[in-house]
Amino acid sequence: MLGMNTTPVTILTGFLGAGKTTLLNRILTENHGLRIAVIENEFGEVGVDHELVINAEEELFEMNNGCICCTVRGDLIRILGNLMKRKDQFDHILIETTGLADPGPVVQTFFADAEMKERLHVNGVVTLVDAKHILAHLDDSDEAHEQIAFADVLILNKCDLVGEDDLTHLEGRIRGINALAKIIRSTNADVPIPAILEIGGFNLDRAMEIDPQFLEPEYPFEWGGIFPVDRKEGTLHTTIAPDPTMGIAMFAVSGADAFAAATEKAVRAFSDDPKHVGPSGTLVADGALAELEIKSGPQTYALKFGDTSHVAVFTEHHPDEFALRFVTEGGTLTALVEKNFKPDHEHDSLITSVGIVHEGECDGRRLNEWLSGIVREQGADIFRMKGVFALKGQPDRIIFQGVHMLIDAANGGPWLNRKRQNTLVFIGRYLDRDSLREGFLSCLA
Amino acid sequence: MKQLTSHATADYVLHLAWDTEGTRLAVTPATGDVHVLSLLENSTSTRAGQALGNGESAWFQGDLVTSGFDGVVRFTDGSDFRGGKEFIERLKVNSDGTLLGVAQGRFLHVMDAKHNAEFSLRSLPASVSDFAWNPTNPKEVAVVGAGGARMWRLGENQPYAQFDWGGASMQAVWSPDGRWLVTGDQTPSVHIYDFTRSYPLHIQGYDARVSTIAFTSDSTRVATSAGEVITVWPTTGEKGPEGATPLQMDGPQGGTTAAAFSRASGQLAVGDDAGVLLIYTLEGQRVLRKMHRRESGIGCLAWHPSQAILAVGHADGSCALLDLD
Repeated sequence: MLGMNTTPVTILTGFLGAGKTTLLNRILTENHGLRIAVIENEFGEVGVDHELVINAEEELFEMNNGCICCTVRGDLIRILGNLMKRKDQFDHILIETTGLADPGPVVQTFFADAEMKERLHVNGVVTLVDAKHILAHLDDSDEAHEQIAFADVLILNKCDLVGEDDLTHLEGRIRGINALAKIIRSTNADVPIPAILEIGGFNLDRAMEIDPQFLEPEYPFEWGGIFPVDRKEGTLHTTIAPDPTMGIAMFAVSGADAFAAATEKAVRAFSDDPKHVGPSGTLVADGALAELEIKSGPQTYALKFGDTSHVAVFTEHHPDEFALRFVTEGGTLTALVEKNFKPDHEHDSLITSVGIVHEGECDGRRLNEWLSGIVREQGADIFRMKGVFALKGQPDRIIFQGVHMLIDAANGGPWLNRKRQNTLVFIGRYLDRDSLREGFLSCLA
Repeated sequence: MKQLTSHATADYVLHLAWDTEGTRLAVTPATGDVHVLSLLENSTSTRAGQALGNGESAWFQGDLVTSGFDGVVRFTDGSDFRGGKEFIERLKVNSDGTLLGVAQGRFLHVMDAKHNAEFSLRSLPASVSDFAWNPTNPKEVAVVGAGGARMWRLGENQPYAQFDWGGASMQAVWSPDGRWLVTGDQTPSVHIYDFTRSYPLHIQGYDARVSTIAFTSDSTRVATSAGEVITVWPTTGEKGPEGATPLQMDGPQGGTTAAAFSRASGQLAVGDDAGVLLIYTLEGQRVLRKMHRRESGIGCLAWHPSQAILAVGHADGSCALLDLD
C-alpha cells in the first residue's frame, strides 16, 4: 500500500497573509504529542519549541530532459536526506512554501527522487486561503488558482471578516477550480491539527470520502421536475427574488417516466441563448430556454402548457430560493418526480476538475498507453491526478496518482466490499471532459 | 584488519575530519556533541553540537570549526559566524589551509584566519549544493547547484569557467592534480569537467543517483558509486574517461554511502548502508577485494592522511579506527 512505513509529509501553501505563520505557531505549540520537523522557505516569527524549524532556500532542479514538469526541489532532498538519518525520527514533516511559490516542484520531489519515495510519502497539500482577499487574488493571479488546484485541504481562513453569502459564493468559485479538496472554514487558523496532519490526500478512498458527489456530472440547472397538468394554462408565482433573473425551460412530456429523456433535452435547451420574459410575461411549454426577469415582491407569469398531460420544468436555481409555485385553476401543482442536480460551478478559471467513474475492467496496456499520452501531451496543465482501476486479470485494486508529468501506481490491496469499478480524477487547466471520458472508455477490456 | 578503537556518539555519524597531521579526528553525528579523538593523547573531548542538528566540521588553522542547521559556524575560541538563517551542511578548508569556505543558501562565505569574509561569493544564482577547492590553487573554488557548476577565482566578479547542463549537481570533487572536476548529479549521472579542454563529459547510465566520488591521490582514477555498484574511471588518457572502459565492481549489499582512496596505501574503501565495508586494491585491471561486515550501516569514511588507518562512521553513532596496513 502507498505510504506504508514511510514518514508523512504535509505541504502547506497559501498566499502571504493568509495565516500560515499563525497556523504553524499552533502546530508548534499545541500538545499533539508528535515530533514534527517544519521546513520553511522564509523565517517568520515562528517560535521554536521541541520541534525543528529549518530554513531552506528555494532551489529548483530540473531533470535532464529540461522539462519544467520534472522540476524538483534539490534543497529539500538534501535536508530531508539528513533528517532521515537521525536517530530520533520525526513523526511528521511539514513543508511551508512561500506565498507565491508553485507547490508543484515540492510535490514532485517526492515522486521523482527514488530515495525520497523510499522513505517519505506526501500526506497531502494544505492551502490556506484568506477569505477576505482571495477573490482579488483569483482575479489577478494564476498562482492563486494553481495553489487551490493542488490542494487536498483548503482552509478558508479569516471567515469572521466575511459574510455568509460571500463565503458561499467563494466556496462555489473554489469548487469550480478544485472539486476534490475538503474545505474547512476557520478564524485565526484555528483548525484541528488532524485536519492538517491526517489528510490522506494521496489516498483516493479518503479523497472520495470528502465529497462523494464530486464525480457526478454537472448540469446547467439545479432542479428539474415533472408535473401533471389538467389545464392548458396556468400561472407561475414568485414572492422573493435573490437574483434578478433565472433561467427556466418547460416542455411537454408523456409522463413521469420520461424524466431521464427530459433531462437530456433540458441540457440542450440550456445551451441555447435564452429569450427574455419580463414581469407578467408568458412562459410557453415549447422547450426553449427562457430568462425570467424577477423583481422583488409577488410576481406572476402566465403559463401556456398546450395540449399535454404532463410538463417537465427545469430551473437554473432551486425553486425554493424563489418560492416558485406552479398553479392552475385546479390548484397548486405538485411534481410527480423531481431531482436536485449538481450545478456547474463558476468556471471563471481555466482550471477545473474532471471525474470519471465507470464499471468494467480496463486493459492494462491500453490504460498505460492512454495515461502516458495524457501526461506527455497535457502534463504541464495537469496539477493532480488520482485513480483507482480494476484491471483485467488483476484481482486487486490498482491505485494511481500523479503530479504534472510524474505518475505513480501501486497495488491498492483487495477490493473487499468495495464496488469493483474504475474511478479517475483530473484537476488541471484546459481539461476536455468529453475527450478524457472517451479516452478512458477506449481502455476498457 | 585490526580495529584500533571504537567510540560512541549520540547519533548517525555524518562526517569525519582528520586534522592535517592526522593526530586528531573530529567525529560529527547528525545531532548531539561533536567528538574529537586524539590519537597522541589517546583521549576524547567533545564540543557541544549545533542547535537543530550538525553540518560538517573542519580543522581550520589548527582548530575545530563546526556548523549546523541553525545556520551558525562555531569556532574553538567561542566566537561564531552568522551569515544568514539558512542551514549549513558544507564546510571546507582550501588547499593551503588559509581559507574556510561555508556554503549557506546562495552564499559561499569565504573567511580567513581572522574571520574576514571579503572574498565571499554572494547572491549566487542558486543555492550552493556543494563546493570544492582546487587542490592546486588555493584561490580557486568550484560551486555546484541548480544548473551545473561555476568555477571562481576569488576576488573576480565572474566565474572563469562553468557548465550548465539544464539539471543540477549535488556534489563536487576536484582531482588532486587540478585537471578534473567531477559533479554528482540529481539524476543518475555525473559530469566530468576537463579544465584542459573546458569540456564537461556527461556520463549517464547509473542505476541510482551517484552517492560518492573519490579520486586516487595521483588523479589517475576516479571512483563513483551508485546503488550497489562501484565504477572506477581511468583519467589518464588524453580525453580522460571519454571512450574508456571503466572497472565495475560489485560487493556492496546495500546502497553505497561513502568511498575514499587512501593516500598511504592507494586502497579504495567503500561503505554501504547495510554495514558492509569493502577494501579494494586496484592493480591495473585486476581488483582484489576484501569484505568486512560491520555491526551497523556505514555513514562515512575517512582515511588517515599518511597512514593506512581508516575511520569508519556508523549509523548507530559509533566510530571505529581500523588499521589496514
